[in-house]
Amino acid sequence: MTESKPEEIVVTAHDKPKIGVYVCHCGINIGGVISVPDLVEYSKTLPNVVLAKEYKFLCSDIGQKLIQDDIKEGLINRVIVAACSPRMHEPTFRATLNDVGLNQFLFEQANIREHATWVNMQDPEGAYEIAKDHIRMAVGKANKLRPLEVQKVKVEPSCLIIGGGVAGMNAALDLATEGYTTYLVERTPTIGGHMAQLDKTFPTMDCSACIITPRMSDVAKTKGIELRTYCEVVDVEGYVGNFVVTIMHKPHYVDQEKCTACGACAEECPIDCGNEFDLGMQTRKAIYIPFPQAVPGQYTIDMDKCVKCGICARETVCEPGAIVYDDKPVYEKIKIGTIIIATGWDLFDPIKLEQYGYGRYPNVIDSLQMERLLSSFGPVLGKPVRPSDLKAPHSIAFLQCVGSRNFRQGGNKYCSRVCCMYATKQARQYKEKHPEADVYIFYMDVRAFGKGYEEFYESAAENYGINYIRGRIAEVREGENNSIIIRAEDTLLQELIELEVDMFILSCGLVPKADADQVSALLSVQRSSDGFFMEAHPKLKPVDTLTDGVFVAGVAQGPKDIPDTVAQAKGAASSAAALMAQGEVEIEPYYSVVLEHLCSGCKTCQSLCPFGAINFDNFKKIAMVNPAKCKGCGTCVSACPSDAMVQNHFNNDQLITIINFALKENPL
Amino acid sequence: MIEKKNWRYGMFLGCVAPNRYPMIEASIRAVFEHLGAELLELEGASCCPAPGVFRAFHIPSWLVIAARNITIAEQIGVSPLTGCNGCYGTLRDAWVEMEHEPSLKKMVNEHLAKVGRVYKGNREPKHIVQALYLDMGMDYLRDHIKYTFKDLKVAVHYGCHIIKPSDKRPWGGQYECPTFLDEMVELTGAKSLDYKDKFLCCGAGGAVRTAVKEISADFSREKLENIRNAGADIIIDVCPFCHLQLDLGQLEANGIYKDIIGEPYKIPVIYLTQLLGLAFGIDPNQLGLVKNHQLAGVPPFISIEPFLNIVKEQLD
Amino acid sequence: MSENVKKYIKRQVIKPINSKISEKFVDAGLEKIRACINCGTCTGGCPSGRRTAYRTRSAIRKALTGDTSVLEDIDIWLCSTCYYCYERCPRDIPVTDMIIKLRNIAVEEGYILDAHFGLANNVFFITGHGVPANGEENKKWQDLRESYGLPPLPPTVHCHPEAVEEVQSLLKSVGFTELMENTKKLKEERAKKEQAEKEESTK
Repeated sequence: MTESKPEEIVVTAHDKPKIGVYVCHCGINIGGVISVPDLVEYSKTLPNVVLAKEYKFLCSDIGQKLIQDDIKEGLINRVIVAACSPRMHEPTFRATLNDVGLNQFLFEQANIREHATWVNMQDPEGAYEIAKDHIRMAVGKANKLRPLEVQKVKVEPSCLIIGGGVAGMNAALDLATEGYTTYLVERTPTIGGHMAQLDKTFPTMDCSACIITPRMSDVAKTKGIELRTYCEVVDVEGYVGNFVVTIMHKPHYVDQEKCTACGACAEECPIDCGNEFDLGMQTRKAIYIPFPQAVPGQYTIDMDKCVKCGICARETVCEPGAIVYDDKPVYEKIKIGTIIIATGWDLFDPIKLEQYGYGRYPNVIDSLQMERLLSSFGPVLGKPVRPSDLKAPHSIAFLQCVGSRNFRQGGNKYCSRVCCMYATKQARQYKEKHPEADVYIFYMDVRAFGKGYEEFYESAAENYGINYIRGRIAEVREGENNSIIIRAEDTLLQELIELEVDMFILSCGLVPKADADQVSALLSVQRSSDGFFMEAHPKLKPVDTLTDGVFVAGVAQGPKDIPDTVAQAKGAASSAAALMAQGEVEIEPYYSVVLEHLCSGCKTCQSLCPFGAINFDNFKKIAMVNPAKCKGCGTCVSACPSDAMVQNHFNNDQLITIINFALKENPL
Repeated sequence: MIEKKNWRYGMFLGCVAPNRYPMIEASIRAVFEHLGAELLELEGASCCPAPGVFRAFHIPSWLVIAARNITIAEQIGVSPLTGCNGCYGTLRDAWVEMEHEPSLKKMVNEHLAKVGRVYKGNREPKHIVQALYLDMGMDYLRDHIKYTFKDLKVAVHYGCHIIKPSDKRPWGGQYECPTFLDEMVELTGAKSLDYKDKFLCCGAGGAVRTAVKEISADFSREKLENIRNAGADIIIDVCPFCHLQLDLGQLEANGIYKDIIGEPYKIPVIYLTQLLGLAFGIDPNQLGLVKNHQLAGVPPFISIEPFLNIVKEQLD
Repeated sequence: MSENVKKYIKRQVIKPINSKISEKFVDAGLEKIRACINCGTCTGGCPSGRRTAYRTRSAIRKALTGDTSVLEDIDIWLCSTCYYCYERCPRDIPVTDMIIKLRNIAVEEGYILDAHFGLANNVFFITGHGVPANGEENKKWQDLRESYGLPPLPPTVHCHPEAVEEVQSLLKSVGFTELMENTKKLKEERAKKEQAEKEESTK
């Protein structure tokens, strides 16, 4: 596979540029709109162009060979390809040069497809003029191109995964199996995430706890996984392959080594408070584990609720003597090669949608509350009841798209993807427990897109008698005995209906976690307009972010169900592993360089750099650019009051030349 | 004691208040004078024009006439102030729309130029409730309370155009369950009741009353039924058209729907400033509460005697 | 046999769809109407729909499918503009504004209630008020004002005839009077045509 490296062709600033221009037909994309032969002739008239050729598909093997032969014969030392966008084939042609020993940065691509012919198909003359402009500007730049070297940096074979839900856990297991040290950081005392709160999962009706708890204990047992529960990432420095991450270990106030999870402390603790796991519908003690199957199973004290009565610390209660009232946070610094964001989601809070009565009427609940009511180890042991009188409802109604598909100001425009299915699931579960109950689902559309989903939906109506009503509920009010009276239009019948039910469940959408903006800032990753973390390319790079070395998996990237989450987690693990397996990564040389003799040490560049790539050398009193973190955005170059910053491959001389050539002047 | 600020407004009367329910106009003038606000006359103002009818016919006409009315206030350097939800709907929506879409303002000014007027859009149209609650504030109003009711049950009717469209109103986007009127009513010691479909439209607006009176009467009938079931002593509103629909409309509902309503409704309908004025200690004669004439076929169509009795009993 | 035919056979079941009405919305900058997904929230909370045959969503749908019956029927005039549909639409469509636009189009095409026409053309145009109090026939309202300590006529157009003229000239300038004339003409022509057709069928 690996050929011997070709002998390097040395090109210096003293060598006269010998530019070869290759104009591509790109099938009929370019050739069908403008005259490629004319462009070839035009190119020959430009400064320092020694040859110009045309071909149907330059990106093909034969096309590339055409260029390589000219290089090998020493005819040219700069290459211009006038064809598609550099985002398509710049890497292709750079490799073409590299393979025959010519520095790959002595290449320039003129976009005469996306920028000329594709947008002017009805105006060939106009397209031709634009194509000439692009080639001329490329020739200008080519005259000023200099060879550059890619940087290579080592990649630490360790991965940090932020978030211990189903995405984080699966990614961790895969990476650890592949032999990479994986730090799984989770801010709550247990891994498992929201999936542990679910009762059953659609469409198979697997018990969620039954499928996730084995994974949870795998995670605890796997040697390569460094489990860091009740921890938070507080600082991330460095760059791809070489991150330095600071993890804060929050104080448990219980020695995690000594605690045997016997539970004696919780039995004696006098403080009752709402259990977050059960959304406040069940109590826990101030010293607690979130739920019985928590991993790790050691206890934690919630200091906000603890009154330091000292009961749990008594020898008769905690025999191992694990209580530590003066516990403090501990900071751990680790070296990390890759990071996966798997922070998950929160449920949309419907309190602002006053027309649905959430927070005002006791019998209006949200879907996660319903899930806990249905759970066999939840507050009512799986027998749902109405909050107002703790009796099982005879009739329940679900409303879909609460907080989703809302184009109003401040609303979430996206579809949350899982609600149609989870409502059908919850409706089915309730019908199984109460076959005589009336169950209604009010919807705008039913989205049953996945494997087995349509069958699940059909069965819900046919076998379980769930009533699907197409009509988004306008408003509800309270009736006798805290019943909920619903007003909607059955749009398929075009009739107004008023329906009285015992309990009303809002199928709320998924929203990014409240502190997603802090994670975003910490890792310098972007978020999409919907607030979820942004993937590098919506189609082809679903697990990468635009920050090298940082990946994203699960609902943190966008709402999705459990199968898609696991798939994406595995994808992120694979991408992270691919990076770490190479052992080193190439950094493009577009970084800025400080002209030390001109730098006045004003630190303007450092304060403006969006990537934190500039440091200050306190000894020399000048700025220093970290080439690996620099993205070549150019901010420092334009801001520097001393003109001391030069950006590789886009320096002022090159840019001014392009502009001059664009205006048909030739300063050479 | 909060310092009295320099509040000056242009009193935009509209049609229903001055021409059919002048007691509302009287009570607004009395209360604002008492609170130290100046109400200047907007000479030559016309119908706002009524949003339900005229906006439905021709929007440019509606904008031009509304802009003309606002220029009368602009010329004397004040905000047009109205005690009517309908006029508020027109003046405020027209103002917001013209600020948002400069081509509309341009079109309007082309026509206004022909009569020597220029619409600038620099005076915010306000409702008297906006002036009381936002400009003067609850603390200022509370300081003026002299008498309080011991046991008065009030059904507050907000109406529609004072709160919607919420993106063109000063209530921070709140429209499902506002509380500002309930708060003001409770300043007087009265209790503002919760009742079924509290925010139901009265049915007069949107050209419905003019189109088919029986339909608007059915809106009112439903509302009155809910108010009666809640046990209210009086209805409080902030719009002369709602007031007409709940007062004259109450009489109409009693007639048209007598077969289904059981006992005829007889709930006094009172405008907000009439209630506030009593609590401030203003003479009821100045608030339009005392009948000084022998005319027939004029409001109040539903007797307010029961309310006046409560006033005599409870306010010292 | 022909009775059953009359009773049960309904040809014209297939309704053609056109964008004649929705084009007018797009031209007026109200293209948002096309975002409607027929969720029914507007109808569900409509206070008029609860007591009449008016269905907000259906009116919008008819506009989008080019069904001109929405302009001819009285339904769109039964909306009390309470704005709940406007506030609750998940696609952020200003529904009330759409209904008002439908009313505008209806008036342009000569569909207007006599009561509304009278209010616009006679009452408002003549006096400048929608609910006037001037003139001998309204003396009791002037007396009522005086009984509450107010001047018999308010300082509006009622006290300023030049203001009435100003309003009238503005209404002429902006095209209101022309619109009313046109509407009246179209309405009368249609009434004549219907009368003629009725006479034809009874012959």
